[in-house]
Amino acid sequence: MVKSTSKDAQDLFRSLHSAYSATPTNLKIIDLYVVFAVFTALIQVLYMALVGSFPFNSFLSGVLSCIGTAVLAVCLRIQVNKENKEFKDLAPERAFADFVLCNLVLHLVIINFLG
Amino acid sequence: MNLSRSVALISLFLLPLLSFSFSVDNPTDRRVLVLLEDLSLKSSHSIFFNTLKSRGFDLDFKLAEDSKLALQRYGQYLYDGLIIFAPSTERFGGSLDSKSIADFVDSGRDLILSADTSASDLIRGIALECGVDFDEDSSAMVIDHSSFSVSDVDGDHTLVAADDLVKSQVILGKNKIEAPVLFKGVAHSLNPTNNLVMKVLSASPSAYSANPSSKLTSPPHLTGPAISLVSVMQARNNARVVISGSLQLFSDKLFRSGVQKAGSPNKYEKSGNEQFVTELSKWVFHERGHLKAGSLVHHRVGETDEPAIYRIKDDLEFSVEILEWSGKSWEPYVADDVQVQFYMMSPYVLKTLSTDKKGLFHTSFKVPDVYGVFQFKVEYEKLGYTTLSLSKQIPVRPYRHNEYERFIPTAYPYYGACFTTMAGFFVFSFVYLYHK
Repeated sequence: MVKSTSKDAQDLFRSLHSAYSATPTNLKIIDLYVVFAVFTALIQVLYMALVGSFPFNSFLSGVLSCIGTAVLAVCLRIQVNKENKEFKDLAPERAFADFVLCNLVLHLVIINFLG
Repeated sequence: MNLSRSVALISLFLLPLLSFSFSVDNPTDRRVLVLLEDLSLKSSHSIFFNTLKSRGFDLDFKLAEDSKLALQRYGQYLYDGLIIFAPSTERFGGSLDSKSIADFVDSGRDLILSADTSASDLIRGIALECGVDFDEDSSAMVIDHSSFSVSDVDGDHTLVAADDLVKSQVILGKNKIEAPVLFKGVAHSLNPTNNLVMKVLSASPSAYSANPSSKLTSPPHLTGPAISLVSVMQARNNARVVISGSLQLFSDKLFRSGVQKAGSPNKYEKSGNEQFVTELSKWVFHERGHLKAGSLVHHRVGETDEPAIYRIKDDLEFSVEILEWSGKSWEPYVADDVQVQFYMMSPYVLKTLSTDKKGLFHTSFKVPDVYGVFQFKVEYEKLGYTTLSLSKQIPVRPYRHNEYERFIPTAYPYYGACFTTMAGFFVFSFVYLYHK
């Protein structure tokens, strides 16, 4: 029984891996960026848990910049993904331009709130 | 017409006399009124009076019942010090009474009061005003069966040889009094909660106060260490009072006599009375232990003038000058226990001042992290010295908005994260656009 479940897990992982390799490169780049942003946010949360939340505005600013940019990247991925029927008519350049603009606004606000 | 003219003339003559009285710049008393119950005291206590005269005092001998006695005239005090050697006087003559003597001490002037056996109620009342309680039994004397002087002629052990002196160089002088002090008189006690009086000469643990000529029917209520033979009081206005239970303590006879304490092999040629009385009179007439302080000076480190307001966590320097009167001139005071408090409801900073041996006491500290209105307080109360109570108010403000640190060190990871994210976004957009 145990052997079959571990074999199932391995099979599952292998199938996921092979499915993921089939995605286009630009989507993989976006995924990498999202992982980096979330990872940076996690490090900040760990640091806050260690030393306390003294300059809370700086903590919020840092975490929100990472999470914000991750969210915008996810939006970009949704809009650019060719398999997504909902955004079939949206030009990928338009999506990227929205992404850049939103990020600029986000970082402006973040630097202001950083203190 | 004639009377008013003579009054005017007299006051004109009196005016220059005022320059000889004691003042803030010259605290030693000069003119002393000596009240005697009997003029023979002038000769039987001549050594004491002559030492006073040789130190520059102006002694005015009067009988206690002299009807022309007056301490003040036209609102000015005529004397700076008062010696009362009249233990059995019921009423003073002239305008003197227990209230006028209390006012005399209240004005900052000094008093030496001596009681003896059969002290009158007047003398007891004056002593009570100063915090000293004589034994109620008027025929009681101090008796000590193990600490009496061997030369006691009466044989009832009332001539006590006492050597329990207060340990204070300022009251009793630098030289130790080797020989015991001879005492024959009444006992008194002090209220232990009164912190203005203290015992200078205490009785030994085996002493008690009782009538020597009658048999004891009940245990005496004043015994042992509760008995004080000579006490001093320094009032809050720094007037000094010496109260002694024995008039003979000051007499030539006891000054010259040798002393040997019963049970002790040491025999002294001369009793400690003369040295004791001389040093005590120096203290009571402000020839020793009188301090004067200049104003408190404070400023920020690196500046010289006093700011109107400090900021929290400022570094400041504080100094005060304290001088001691040596009997003739002001000398720098040297001590290592003067402290300053930075006080607002409770002392936030308490520092001991260091001295440069020239009378300047200084220290430096950081203003605490609390804002409000503070006071620099120097409260110096050392045994035998005048009390110094100085204070200066200064406000302390918090940081202005532009005095905070620009970047908070604990937030550096957050700053780093924000800029890393921005850089990451920049790199990502390049890669995304130009990848193959």
